[in-house]
Amino acid sequence: MTNEAVAGKAAPSRLDVRSLAKSYGAGAKAKVIIEDLTFTVETGEVVCIVGPSGVGKTTLLKCLAGLQPASSGTAAIDGRVIDGPPPEMALVFQDYNRSLMPWLTVRKNLMLPLRHLRLPAAETRERCNDALAAVGLEHAEHQYPWQLSGGMQQRVAIARALAYRPEILVMDEPFASVDAQTRFDLEDLCLKIRKDFNMTVLVVTHDIDEAVYLSDRVVVLGSKPARVLTTIDVDLPSPRDQITTRSLPEFAALRTDVLSLIKRPA
Amino acid sequence: MKPAQLTRGAIGVLGALVLWQLVSSAHLAGDAFPSPVATLSALAADASGASFWSAVGETVGVALLGLLGSAAAGILAGIVIGSSPAVRYATLALLEFLKPIPPIVILPLLVLILGPTARMSWLLVFIGCLLPIITQTIAGVHDTDPVARDTARSYGMGRTEILFRVVLPSAMPFIGTAMRVAAPVALIVTVVAGLLGGGPGLGQGLYLAQSSGNYPSLYGQVLVLGILGLIFIGLARAGERRLLHWHPSYREAAV
Repeated sequence: MTNEAVAGKAAPSRLDVRSLAKSYGAGAKAKVIIEDLTFTVETGEVVCIVGPSGVGKTTLLKCLAGLQPASSGTAAIDGRVIDGPPPEMALVFQDYNRSLMPWLTVRKNLMLPLRHLRLPAAETRERCNDALAAVGLEHAEHQYPWQLSGGMQQRVAIARALAYRPEILVMDEPFASVDAQTRFDLEDLCLKIRKDFNMTVLVVTHDIDEAVYLSDRVVVLGSKPARVLTTIDVDLPSPRDQITTRSLPEFAALRTDVLSLIKRPA
Repeated sequence: MKPAQLTRGAIGVLGALVLWQLVSSAHLAGDAFPSPVATLSALAADASGASFWSAVGETVGVALLGLLGSAAAGILAGIVIGSSPAVRYATLALLEFLKPIPPIVILPLLVLILGPTARMSWLLVFIGCLLPIITQTIAGVHDTDPVARDTARSYGMGRTEILFRVVLPSAMPFIGTAMRVAAPVALIVTVVAGLLGGGPGLGQGLYLAQSSGNYPSLYGQVLVLGILGLIFIGLARAGERRLLHWHPSYREAAV
């Protein structure tokens, strides 16, 4: 597809990453982290970006979140090029214990990003209540994040994103720092959120099973420097279930596809 | 504190008093080292006069105001310097150079300009406490977790909001430590300003007692200063605990 085709015909994709590149330094010493990434995410999709660790996934998310400029290429939301943190996007980091403010209670952590929106107090309260209910943490609102388990803390971070009412939820290795059982719970929470809040979700992960389980589409990255190896559509039936979905032969086939792509020497 | 700890603390104090009594009755230092009984009775006599209490008041007032002033100026300067790598590097060598210099060295200059006044004492306390608060604030600002900063930025929070809602609370443990260290320093510098510079308060009282050879009164005032020091440290600790109840070093107490 060419630029003209996109601009002329269909409505722009929700998220459109085009020839995105990022390198640090300049000249012969420049370190190329991302080389020419192109992919799209459509409204309501869950897309997972999967690649080996150290591939530059976090750098990519920082560019998408407007936290750092790309060296070349663009990322756009609904056709608008991202040049700063987009108001319709919320980011969930892997390190919940670094991303949540330890001096604020759970509820106050949720309220922190809402202050500058200058919402009526009642709406702030309602948003926080809804978000806490969505992640099942109503009872913990007056506790501090460090009084909670890792899985609960990540749910707080997700609730904070939900209270912001984003249209696009971007998560960076969101479940990498919790135990396996909690991980399954959080994956299902992610799918529930997408359904309940009608959100577009972009997840970066190194976990192939997780990528296949969550996604409508998996973008497979190759490393050094990062580039898109291929994009795989995931046609697994919905609603998904940790036991039945994961035991489908299609699941195993998709998993094998992705794994063989990643393992193959570049 | 547990009762057992309190008992042990009391035993320690009692032991020190007994040791003091023994050494003073051995007349090792002649009249220059009075017994605790003589000291305490001199203190009681001093404490019945209004001038003693106004001296205590002046000392505490100067120390607290100096501390407050240096906290306000130091935190502000620390934030300004810490927020910009360029300014931080530009001031690093200067601050490190000034750090080991005791504030007393500018005492003569201050006395020359301001005379033996409370303002002179205040300024000396201000200068004496300022530097550690600045350097600690810079360290705290610099130590702010980049993930916390990125989180705030990704939610569209502005620079000023991030400064007050993320950076400053992150720097609080560093600032708290600086304040806890600075609180007794403020008291010491106030006394030195009185002792050597003639500023009002207990420092001046020490000087007068010494020059008139009234050693029991001298030691009585030293005792009072010691107790004031304990109160200063205790209050600084309590304030820190209250403000930083969320910090890992205080969490057990908070839960």
